[in-house]
Amino acid sequence: MLSKITVSPAPHISQPLSTRRVMLDVLIGLAFPVAAALWFFRQYAEILLVSSVASCLVSEWICDLIRRKPNSLGNLSAVVTGVILALSLPPAVPWWVAVIGGAFAIVIVKMLFGGLGHNIFNPAMAARVFLTASFGVLMTTWTVPATMQNEGLKTISASNTQAITQATTLAWSKAALKGQTDAKQVNPLVKLSFLGNEGGCLGETSVLAILLGGLYMLIRKTIMWRIPFAVLVSATAVAAVGWLAKPDVYVNPLLHLVGGGLMLGAFFIATDPVTSPLTAKGEWIFGIGVGALIMLIRIVGEYPEGVMYAVLIMNALTPLIDRFCTLVPAGGKPNVNV
Amino acid sequence: MKTHTKATFPGGVHPPECKQYSQSNVIEIVPVPKQVTVLLSQHLGASCKPVVSKKEAVRVGQKIGASDAFVSAAVHSPVAGAVKDIVLAPHPVLGRTMAVVIDADAQSEPKKPCADKFDSKFSPDKWSVQQICSAIQDAGIVGMGGAGFPTRVKIEPNPAMPKEILIVNGCECEPFLTCDYRVMLEWTWQVLAGVRLAAKAADVDKIRIGIEDNKPDAIEVFSQAIQSCTDLDIQVVPVKTKYPQGGERQLIRAVWNKTVPTNSIPPVIGVVVVNVATAAAIAEAVVLGQPLTHRVVSVTGRAIAKPGNYYCPVGMSIQELIDHCGGLTESAAKVVLGGPMMGFAIADLSMPLTKTSGGLTFLTREEVTEAKFKHQQTTCIRCGRCISACPENLNPTRIAHAVKHNRLDLAQQYFMSGCTECGACSYICPAHIELTGYIKTGKLLVARAKKKA
Repeated sequence: MLSKITVSPAPHISQPLSTRRVMLDVLIGLAFPVAAALWFFRQYAEILLVSSVASCLVSEWICDLIRRKPNSLGNLSAVVTGVILALSLPPAVPWWVAVIGGAFAIVIVKMLFGGLGHNIFNPAMAARVFLTASFGVLMTTWTVPATMQNEGLKTISASNTQAITQATTLAWSKAALKGQTDAKQVNPLVKLSFLGNEGGCLGETSVLAILLGGLYMLIRKTIMWRIPFAVLVSATAVAAVGWLAKPDVYVNPLLHLVGGGLMLGAFFIATDPVTSPLTAKGEWIFGIGVGALIMLIRIVGEYPEGVMYAVLIMNALTPLIDRFCTLVPAGGKPNVNV
Repeated sequence: MKTHTKATFPGGVHPPECKQYSQSNVIEIVPVPKQVTVLLSQHLGASCKPVVSKKEAVRVGQKIGASDAFVSAAVHSPVAGAVKDIVLAPHPVLGRTMAVVIDADAQSEPKKPCADKFDSKFSPDKWSVQQICSAIQDAGIVGMGGAGFPTRVKIEPNPAMPKEILIVNGCECEPFLTCDYRVMLEWTWQVLAGVRLAAKAADVDKIRIGIEDNKPDAIEVFSQAIQSCTDLDIQVVPVKTKYPQGGERQLIRAVWNKTVPTNSIPPVIGVVVVNVATAAAIAEAVVLGQPLTHRVVSVTGRAIAKPGNYYCPVGMSIQELIDHCGGLTESAAKVVLGGPMMGFAIADLSMPLTKTSGGLTFLTREEVTEAKFKHQQTTCIRCGRCISACPENLNPTRIAHAVKHNRLDLAQQYFMSGCTECGACSYICPAHIELTGYIKTGKLLVARAKKKA
């Protein structure tokens, strides 16, 4: 009987969650935008999701072998990276681009920095930046969902903003900024953008799906409300400044909220625990920074979309934020050096 | 204090309460064991020296160990018999300490609880402050909630730190344990008498009895009982059931809405906290002159055949109590002295019970969770759950990882000394990192380095 009892430090019980379960909850939350992507973009979504996830899994498996560590695929973090990367790609991107992206995300951004928990930069976003830099044209060609106009999927290039009914919401915003069109005419796209009937990346088009997934994760306490709230509020605030000043140049903040990757970024990307600050105060600063930067890049910068750069910049600032946002003990700082 | 929300503290976790295994069991007296091993260090402070010698005959309640140090408490024999030996014996925290081993006389009757000697008519007027403090000192009473701090040192008046409130700790926030609960239900008048004596000795004018709201009958019983104390400012304060509500810093925050400064003690802000079992011991010592030799031990969990609440002599070995309770079941995975959150996992079952042993929790493999059983810790994903759970608002993951990488200076920068080792952080961690274990190790290393210096 004695040989069966074990000794280890207290506490001797723990709550049932594991890292794997936390990742699984993120995947369940992602299931909503994944379903929307499959609904709107059909086979394009299938191809990219499979390629990206498979590439991430194989890359991590090979890295585990090289590092001589036990197989870590079971914690599902590679699957999460693969899905988020796929959802952030334009639908018509070839499958091999997704494969290269997945490998870059896992090998360079995650494994070379030490594996799960040690990476500084969000692997999916860093990979997306890498792909945008490497395959510029492929990464800025937008496809319109199959559900629009019953004509099957149509491809439109970002430079061709004259094709009025088929560009993405953000391309419209950029056109308005450059004076090519009146912002007031762009505003009604809000409803379409909310449901997903617009061009854009695989996962960002249906805001409804993202909100449902985000709600699931909030209920399960997989993510806390601070970061999504801070991102959305600060983005709205920055967008509102322009809109209130010059409504025919700057579009309605609501359009910015539902257009592009802001929602996906707020709920699924900025909330990555590894690359965001530890403390509540730090999370607020992080969220406000991400939201403001996304909007500044969209409005003032040259790119129509700013999510990936905003997140990466704030990832870089996270160690500094953590260093300055330290917690004070409940009883105050101790008087004596113990 | 708001009246519509329950009093509580920030942080904390909600482990399953699991009180059903022993909460309905009336306190049962165990037969006198053949031999007891009374440890000479059952308290915080200086260890006792033996005052008896081998082969000497001893009576129940005879002093067998004492110390001249100010922060210390005497130990007394729980049985009538003869001293067999004075040797090193297993101790849950210190590894091994000196102990007096006593062979009990055959056929001796076990000492009985004395709750029937107390009722609503009790008044502390018969005893002066000096008499109360002397009685507590002579009886060797220590904090029976687990810390084992010598009670007289805590209670006696100190002009440098006047006390204004006595808070009685009836929370018992650890899952499984029910010893304090049964003491509250069955020894109500004795506990109340001890409370009144302690309040008189400490010279406080306010008394608050904190009880978690998962014990509504205890709340009811005490609310009724205090109606007899018409001359006192005494209230029962139901507090929200949350771990670690029974930690004195958290209890003071919930009941009195004040925070004890880090690394300091409650008297600094005019508070003294006393556990209900300690209060009962105070009453027995002052009124009946009986020293602390026995206590109620909650034997609980799914891995013991007959769980219950047992009135045991200190010095009885854990193995003997296990045998009395029908033995371990097949699925036993851990024997814990104390509760599952802060208790010590025991390998040597010959270890004796002490004045602070409130419970023995017998956990099965399923309850320990596979990851902890196999010590499978995965990487910290910086989720921040430990930070939300910490009742002292510390950063457990940073402290633990600093200790892991031998950066004790960094660990101290993160206020490692403010940790009360409650275990909430380790409980909530999805990666099952032994955060509390690392922090305890870090504190030990710092203390050792200081001693060398």
